[in-house]
Amino acid sequence: MIKENKKSEIAFKIIKYVVMIALFIIVLFPLLWLLINSFKTEKEIIGFPPTIIGTKYTLKSFVRIFSNIPFAAYIKNTVIFAGGTTVIAVIFDSMAGYAFARLKFKGKNALFMFVLLTMMVPFQVMMIPLFLESNYLGLLNTYPGLILPKATTAFGIFMMRSYFSALPKDLEEAARVDGLNEMGIFWKIMFPLVKPGVMTLAIFHLMTNWNDLLYPLMMTSSTRMRTLAAGLALFVGEHATTYYGPQLAGALISVTPLLVLYIFFQKYFIASVATSGIKD
Amino acid sequence: MKKLESIKRYLNKPSRIAYVFLAPSLIVLLVFAIIPLIASLIISVMNMNIFFTDTSFAGISNFIQAFQDGRFWNALLNTVVFVVFEVPLQIVIGLLVANALTKTTVFNKVARSIFFLPVICSMAAIGIVWSILLDGNIGLVPYLLEKIGIPNATFFRDVKTAMPTVIAMTVWKNFGYTMSILVVGIQGISTSYYEAAQIDGANKIEQFFNITLPQLKDTLGFCLITNTIGSLQVFDQVYVTTQGGPQYKTETLVQYIYKTGFSQPYNLGYASALSVLLLVVILLISFSMYRNMFMKTD
Repeated sequence: MIKENKKSEIAFKIIKYVVMIALFIIVLFPLLWLLINSFKTEKEIIGFPPTIIGTKYTLKSFVRIFSNIPFAAYIKNTVIFAGGTTVIAVIFDSMAGYAFARLKFKGKNALFMFVLLTMMVPFQVMMIPLFLESNYLGLLNTYPGLILPKATTAFGIFMMRSYFSALPKDLEEAARVDGLNEMGIFWKIMFPLVKPGVMTLAIFHLMTNWNDLLYPLMMTSSTRMRTLAAGLALFVGEHATTYYGPQLAGALISVTPLLVLYIFFQKYFIASVATSGIKD
Repeated sequence: MKKLESIKRYLNKPSRIAYVFLAPSLIVLLVFAIIPLIASLIISVMNMNIFFTDTSFAGISNFIQAFQDGRFWNALLNTVVFVVFEVPLQIVIGLLVANALTKTTVFNKVARSIFFLPVICSMAAIGIVWSILLDGNIGLVPYLLEKIGIPNATFFRDVKTAMPTVIAMTVWKNFGYTMSILVVGIQGISTSYYEAAQIDGANKIEQFFNITLPQLKDTLGFCLITNTIGSLQVFDQVYVTTQGGPQYKTETLVQYIYKTGFSQPYNLGYASALSVLLLVVILLISFSMYRNMFMKTD
């Protein structure tokens, strides 16, 4: 019995490693292929038969993506939109989460239900009125117009609430006795204590907004205001069977910042996914 | 200056400062979520286009139009097909990989990091990569397939293979996401269960079915519901690769809503009606799933 189990365990191990290595190739190959082909000449990308490694490497595709479309503006827009949204949303979510977790006030349950309600409504349902509203307020094609509607999320409030709830009781009482005011208690004592939550939430906001497509597509009609995802998608739509090199170079540039951050903050990337469950 | 000080002093009480902390978030949610949601319901019973010519009350005519619209039913069917195949595939693959990689060894950690890479990349970038890799004329994959005796692989270009290709690409991108959630779930299962099973002589497969699966029930249910809701809103992958084609075979509900509202015919009333129908579908499905999974009294 035990011997048989040993045997089957070894068999499992072998199967596991074979399958995992196959999966490595399936997952990594397209990403490495993107890296290599961004540096190939257009001729070699469309040449027959297709090559894996290629013979000549050049930066031409990168030069072309910057000259064919306002790619530098896309980068700047994405940094401002995703970065600005992240900073503001983390602060707003934390403040609201703190209030729900640690403060006693009238109407708390009703307001919390109100927040949860917005979590259940998918973005696509309010997309058209949101567009009209932004148009009416003159927010289309502006940075505030891109950032404000995303400046808080029910999920973020919910998440920060649970982080603040987990802090030891009486923490703020001691600070109050010491004469610290309410704002000071939040900023100087409570906020620094939930740093892991703040990091996780920041990565969550950064990743969703950096990669978002439908929302910036809708909110920006001017070419110069597009984000990387929206701008690339439209570029592909216009040049589906040409400009392969620039498409790939653009894609490579657009994924690189998050991949670099992932190397340093992997823990928070995984946590942001494992706690969110909201796929965008 | 003095007035500001006195306001500050007045607010310096937990029961009052709470509203100051809540105000930014609540205003944003009210203005950019609740009002648009209500407006969506209103616009759905209006005749309205993006240029505001001929705005009038339409009653339920937009909804009647939807039920008689072949393209709506087609988009709904495509969306359902996407959900029915993509969600289970993503969860099963995510589960099997998570189960194999639960232990914290160097190999497993590296593997988990690698499988998470596509999750971080935007669908726009991933769509570009796969479109060119699978291209019928210049793509590496059709070329390699031809070499091993499978010629004319069409992928995104054929009515029969376009949707399966979109599904496969999505699973490729997202299984690492489900895997990450399930690894945490499996690591949370007490090791004493497995120790007891080992003493009883249960092998790995028996342990998987008798311990891991039942213990993971809630996490799996959570993945199923959130993945289903997310997949019902499928848009990005189609927009970047097939634009809904060929012959509308990959056009999804959100894609159709977007096209109806933001390109010809710029019909916002009808697009809103379609988005209300999407909301109804999502609420019905998530509610029934939720009830089946978490409210069973057994």
